[in-house]
Amino acid sequence: MTISVTSLAFLVGTATLITALAPFVMMILWIRDWIRGQLW
Amino acid sequence: MNSMQSATLDAGTGWLILAVFSIIWIALGGYLGRRAIGLEGYMLAGRKVGLALGTATAMATWVTSNTTMAAPQLALQMGVWGMLGYSLGSVGLMLFAPLAKRIHGLMPAGFTSGDFVRLRYGKTTWRVFLAISLFYGFGWLVSMGMAGGVLVNALTGIDYRIGMSVILAVCVLYTVLGGLRAVIGTDFLQTLIILVGVVILAWLAITEVGFERMHAAVLAERPELLNLLMPAAIMFLFNNLLFGVGEIFHSNVWWSRAFAFREGVGFRAYLMAGVFWMPIPVVAGFIALTVPALGINVPAADMVGPLVAANLLGAGGAILVFIVVFAALASSLDSLLAATSDLILTDIYKGHFRPRASEIELACAARWVVVGLGVLAWLLCLPRLTTLAELLYFTGAFVASTIWPIAAGLFWRRTNPAGAALAMVAGTATGLAGYFLIGFYVAALISAAVSMSIVLLSTWLRPGDFDWAVLANDREVQA
Repeated sequence: MTISVTSLAFLVGTATLITALAPFVMMILWIRDWIRGQLW
Repeated sequence: MNSMQSATLDAGTGWLILAVFSIIWIALGGYLGRRAIGLEGYMLAGRKVGLALGTATAMATWVTSNTTMAAPQLALQMGVWGMLGYSLGSVGLMLFAPLAKRIHGLMPAGFTSGDFVRLRYGKTTWRVFLAISLFYGFGWLVSMGMAGGVLVNALTGIDYRIGMSVILAVCVLYTVLGGLRAVIGTDFLQTLIILVGVVILAWLAITEVGFERMHAAVLAERPELLNLLMPAAIMFLFNNLLFGVGEIFHSNVWWSRAFAFREGVGFRAYLMAGVFWMPIPVVAGFIALTVPALGINVPAADMVGPLVAANLLGAGGAILVFIVVFAALASSLDSLLAATSDLILTDIYKGHFRPRASEIELACAARWVVVGLGVLAWLLCLPRLTTLAELLYFTGAFVASTIWPIAAGLFWRRTNPAGAALAMVAGTATGLAGYFLIGFYVAALISAAVSMSIVLLSTWLRPGDFDWAVLANDREVQA
């Protein structure tokens, strides 16, 4: 059973999108914690 | 210029990158360490780490040089299941989320995973646990140190011993200067570097090669890589899942963070770290599937990541891979140094030799333990014993035996203490037997199954009756 092009593209595309979003989420959380004085 | 040369930087560029990032990590570690006051400040970053830093440190620590270098290698050898199997390592992080919440709630004054086992199960089980945990922690530390030397050598041509010594020395220095605060602070930046680096490479592979071309070329040359029923890869998937859970459940690397996070952060931090970690092996790994389409000659499977990067980005690709690998190495090495030295300080030095040591004495000793651990790791890394790197393969038998004693001990009042010790010993022994008699892919599976059976059977036959308050009064109990 071979994975189709569409499935492979969906798998890799979704993974890349989530990984690309992660730094932005991290920065937003960092700013939020910093404003609240809860970084450390 | 052959393919290997294109993936290798000249030593001068390698030294420049090493120097720039070493200065950044040491300066940042020293700066953050100014506020690491007292033993709790040094070992546990003051117990008030927030969600952003908490999530980043869990992610960065779990992204080792293996994740960035071995994920493409696994994709090249085991195809789609290779990278998916690797990404299941995130299950351990996600399953640890409820444990982190429970640990923080039960032991607000706890320091190490050893503290929990000693108070929950008694001294015999504690010593069995320490043997397993220190063996694993030290094995991981040495293999990371060796990986540092090997990768620096492979990517820049800098001599193995020099590269390994520089990376170890940098991590030891900033960990000594700032303790867990330095480790967590640098982890945040290292996470961003790793994430941005792997996304750039993935984006280039997608836009330059494209899925249609990539799929057609793999199907023509290596169709097994796209096969969803590849037996060896499916075996790898289950073994990796259990290995990861065992590694995280028992290791003080993760427990020390559970103690260090502020109230209410542990559960969310580990869950988010797992969700964001899960796609990384796929993103880092799938670029290996572009090899047939790009017509790259891969003389060594473990160099496939740098080779593809160099093909897509030229010299810039080799630089990007080196920066990402250095960040991944440092983020894991510093955490291992801090957490293993915490275990040695609290459970060996104080627990066995200096039970009445003052906080000032312990805070001073903590720094010396980090230095000592670094020197010992350096000595063992020097001969470049590749067999030591293979230690990690069979540590699966050791760590998987701790899953049930830890999880049951945290949530189940009736768990039998003697059964927990026996479960770890018998699980490890049978797992090792499976490793040598059958293969690496069953070690963790057998170990976890035997350990689970013993915990359940011993508790059913002779249930205990543990008072959870003992854990909350940890410091008083020791005094």
